[in-house]
Amino acid sequence: MIGAALAIARVKLVLELRRREVVFAMLLFVAATIVIVHFALRADDGAGPRAAAGMLWAAVVFTAVLGLLRAFAAEAEEGALDALLLAPVDRAAIWLGSALAQFGFLVVVEVVAVPLWWLLFFQEEGPAPLPVIAALLLANVGIALVGTLAAGLALGARTRDVLLPVLVLPLAIPLVLAGVTATYGAFGEEGGGFGPLGPLGFLALYDLIFLALAWGTSEHLLGD
Amino acid sequence: MTLEECSKRFGERLALRKATLAVEPGETVVLLGPNGAGKSTLLRLAAGLLRPTAGHARIDGIDAVDAPRALRAGMAYAGHRSQLYRGLTARENLALHARLHGRALDLDGSRAAVGLADRADERIDGFSRGMLQRLALARATAHEPVLLLLDEPASGLDADGRTLLDHVLLEGRGRRTQLVASHDQDLPARLGARAVRLDTGRIA
Amino acid sequence: MRALGRPSTTVPLILSLILVPLTVVLAFVWTGEDVDQGFSQKIFYLHVPVALTSYAAFGYGAFCAAMYLWRRDPEWDLRSYVGVHSGTIFGTLVLLTGPIWAKASWGVWWNWGDRQINVFLILFLYYCAYFMLRFSLDEGERRRSASAVYALLGVGLIPLSFLAVRIAETLIHPTVFTSSGAAMPSSFFLTFLVGLAGMLSLMALLMAVELRGKRTAMRVLELQRAARGEDA
Repeated sequence: MIGAALAIARVKLVLELRRREVVFAMLLFVAATIVIVHFALRADDGAGPRAAAGMLWAAVVFTAVLGLLRAFAAEAEEGALDALLLAPVDRAAIWLGSALAQFGFLVVVEVVAVPLWWLLFFQEEGPAPLPVIAALLLANVGIALVGTLAAGLALGARTRDVLLPVLVLPLAIPLVLAGVTATYGAFGEEGGGFGPLGPLGFLALYDLIFLALAWGTSEHLLGD
Repeated sequence: MTLEECSKRFGERLALRKATLAVEPGETVVLLGPNGAGKSTLLRLAAGLLRPTAGHARIDGIDAVDAPRALRAGMAYAGHRSQLYRGLTARENLALHARLHGRALDLDGSRAAVGLADRADERIDGFSRGMLQRLALARATAHEPVLLLLDEPASGLDADGRTLLDHVLLEGRGRRTQLVASHDQDLPARLGARAVRLDTGRIA
Repeated sequence: MRALGRPSTTVPLILSLILVPLTVVLAFVWTGEDVDQGFSQKIFYLHVPVALTSYAAFGYGAFCAAMYLWRRDPEWDLRSYVGVHSGTIFGTLVLLTGPIWAKASWGVWWNWGDRQINVFLILFLYYCAYFMLRFSLDEGERRRSASAVYALLGVGLIPLSFLAVRIAETLIHPTVFTSSGAAMPSSFFLTFLVGLAGMLSLMALLMAVELRGKRTAMRVLELQRAARGEDA
């Protein structure tokens, strides 16, 4: 199961390295979003850490959707999904492997987006980096798991491209809420709250719950 | 492999109507019929890639859609599309397939079987339809399936390719169960196989 | 699918006809005025039962979705759809009555500090997406399983939304975590319970009626197909 998921994830990462179809677009998109919101909020007039935190998270979530739109594009070209479905591996591996690839794309995007965000919003006093990075990594897991499942659901739909953001965004709201809280908290003394009921604990809980739900149902979403 | 009164509906279109068909282990059956007769639907139902609207598609008595991994390990299906990743080389595609089947990559065996010659390390975006079809056939047979489902495997193949396909099917006769959809009216005779005709979703 | 039986419409109809008017009478005649909020508190007997009923309907929808994935009987798919649909109708009512109450007690139409209503907003968006997913797939197996999988995600989303809103709140108002309830006169509480029972029966009635309609539509479709000679 894990081995098969890794093999599928590897294929998707290799394809992305060769074709550079998704991540490059995601990078431009996240940069454009950050700049647009920066101008919209006039952040240089002192929009405050809360607005800055919110902006980063909005940009990350929208960019993630862009990547998810292509989650099964490589399989669609030549019907590779059929071969994966008939392979003697747990069918959840297809979803998990694709989610792993999406997680990787998001990490690459954030490696560029977070420093850019930092540069535009805080010249001197920024948040403590560790909680922000931890929150982003945890949120990446959640959005990759849930988003890939939703992308699978939207596969057979006539309006797949408009449908997917509508499916994913409501599910991502709790992630954004907790992520913004963690980021904002990282400006303060307490450093973002690593406790069980703090935002980071919540993000981990979100990941676990949707891992279980998506794992249990992913068998049903492909094929038919 | 059996279909019992299998029907499949897509929206308001009834693609297959109460099709009943039994293919014995080791038997080779050729499905004949015009375009849109329901051949592809029947094969996808048999492979468990579609869930029948009514009736059952079974393999060894188990519903094909719920086929456990052990059963899927012995199945192969090749359809209109090659089921390969276009950005990968032929070798990488076959390696992924071998990996998912828990087997070692036997490139020499596959290459000999379909005449891929020396193009194994080329990305398949550059391949012609015929080459893709050969590679798809190599993929489908690489794990030595006991049930082989082929949907118009000859399309896009040149004369050499067709000979090769006949060779693969003849070789498999008696050794595995084969169900082949085709437009080639002479195929049943060439293979010494039973022919089943399908028209507007019905088995004639 | 017939094995699941017909949901009764008579019982919930009678119950709603008694309980819903009774709630109104009790709310306006029996219960006294709330000390803090005065007359505007009366909407509590509508707003909160409707919200809880809506959750019940969503829960029922998710339960039927799970049953569908297990049993593959289209009847469970219909029930799941009807559950989500009724939940959304009641949810619309929550989103309408919420602002009225907010305006009366806080002077604003939307109070972003109100935990319940914000959770509802998330859920409302989510369930609207459910309908969009459902209606962009063709009727058939694929639609049924995709709808069921998406409806099941609500099981995770509902509690997580509550938690998330609560976590975000602690940052804006870093104070209270008191368990509410308690200080409510028994007449208030009883009226609330009657209101809840009334709304639940009303929902049961709505779902039974819609389910009958859907089944009839399916039966008509089957007959039309049979008339065309397509007997599957």
